Amino acid sequence: MSARSSNQFLDTLGRHLFGADGPETRGDRLYFRIVELFILGYAVWFCWDWGLYIQQNISSVLLPLGLANYVDVSFLFGHNVALLNAGLVALLGGLGFFRFWRPAYLLALVAFHFQYVARYSLGEISHGSNLIGMGVLGLGVALVAFRSESVRRRFTFGFLYFFIGLGYTSAAVCKLIGTGIMWPDGRHLLMWIAERKVDTLSKFGAFEPNVLQEWVLTDYHVGTAILLFGLFTEAISFLMWWRPYRYPVVLLVVGMHFGIYVSMNIFFAASTYFLILLSLPWNRVFDALLETDAPGLSLSDVLPRRRTRASQ
Amino acid sequence: MATRTNALRLIGIVLTAYALLVATHKGEFWPFSIYPMFSQAGNPWTRAVVREMPPDTKAASLDWSAVPFREVPGEPYPLSPKNINQNDVANYVSKTETWTADRVHGLRSLFTKNRSLSAPLYVFRVRGELTGDSVAVAATPVMLIAPDSTYLNPSPQARTAGRTVADPADEE
Repeated sequence: MSARSSNQFLDTLGRHLFGADGPETRGDRLYFRIVELFILGYAVWFCWDWGLYIQQNISSVLLPLGLANYVDVSFLFGHNVALLNAGLVALLGGLGFFRFWRPAYLLALVAFHFQYVARYSLGEISHGSNLIGMGVLGLGVALVAFRSESVRRRFTFGFLYFFIGLGYTSAAVCKLIGTGIMWPDGRHLLMWIAERKVDTLSKFGAFEPNVLQEWVLTDYHVGTAILLFGLFTEAISFLMWWRPYRYPVVLLVVGMHFGIYVSMNIFFAASTYFLILLSLPWNRVFDALLETDAPGLSLSDVLPRRRTRASQ
Repeated sequence: MATRTNALRLIGIVLTAYALLVATHKGEFWPFSIYPMFSQAGNPWTRAVVREMPPDTKAASLDWSAVPFREVPGEPYPLSPKNINQNDVANYVSKTETWTADRVHGLRSLFTKNRSLSAPLYVFRVRGELTGDSVAVAATPVMLIAPDSTYLNPSPQARTAGRTVADPADEE
């Protein structure tokens, strides 16, 4: 790729990820604050949930993850330290949300990271919270790097679509490298259904396959069709970087998550709800509900604007 | 335009950090990941199941050999109501290469930290593998966690994942 075509590609990508699509509306701002609140709410919920689990169950590090490779995280295992850490994430989240302290979100992410590596120090690598973590990172970078709320909003959404699209496409590449083009073979789904059966029995003491699972168990070619859809959806996920494909692609990914839930009883709740928030132009829905698309003030803008002026 | 350039530059910086961290940490540095889940399709898997045994169960009288999954002894011991994550139990029985005192204590504490046992718990490693168009599943006892003591499978080979054990298996 020549330097000129590379620049053209980056210019187009920048426009599709971060460009404005007309004057900013109240719906735009309300939508951003709802997404922001969703990310923070889930981050705090994860930290409290993990904090309680760490306090109740974990006493040693079986597999160090992330910063646990360099820092002994066993200090989080007792004396309610994990719960205090969860409280710290909530406090920093509040400081960031109300724009009282610009580094707050990035520091919240560090505390969130420690909570994650302590919770999953027994060897399980959970991906259920990764998108929320990327959301906190996107918000944190926006808050530190930009002073305009409008630019923060556009940067955060562009950041999210870029890294979410990259992540799902990376998952498809891993499958093709790890298994090859035979990855969608329906017999692989038989294996995963049997694995989920053991997990479900272990969790709840009973397992009853649903209609789709019965269908796959009867004819594994049905499983092949399901896996083909999943692999295709992941492979094209990077197309959400470009606006004309964004909403259809994100909706396909949401559909894939429902497919994973029905076929394997695995529900990535945080990721699915997050993707639903990103899968439609909710800002336009809010504009319609607010019966105006004219620029106006809201509480969410007044607070940061005061901080910005004060700091200039 | 300058804002878009700055935004792209920031994406580039985060992307570089992302790539460096996952490349040096086996694909995972939360919240960064290459998302490798389900990439090793068709390979045998190892999970865990816990069964509650009668209160008078003695470790010496147990048969520690592998059984088809549908023949595991005891009663179900559902982990979810006890707020124990089954993945954590599975990680202990599938990733432990040597059952040191720390590992034994770690697994035991999942069931006994801040709670007491009324009956012994029999922990099984469950292995599934593809055989033709079906899945064969077998369970090997790893540990008996009694209220006052802990017993490992007397066979060092059987209690450690990855060792070849002639497991009988269910066809699923």
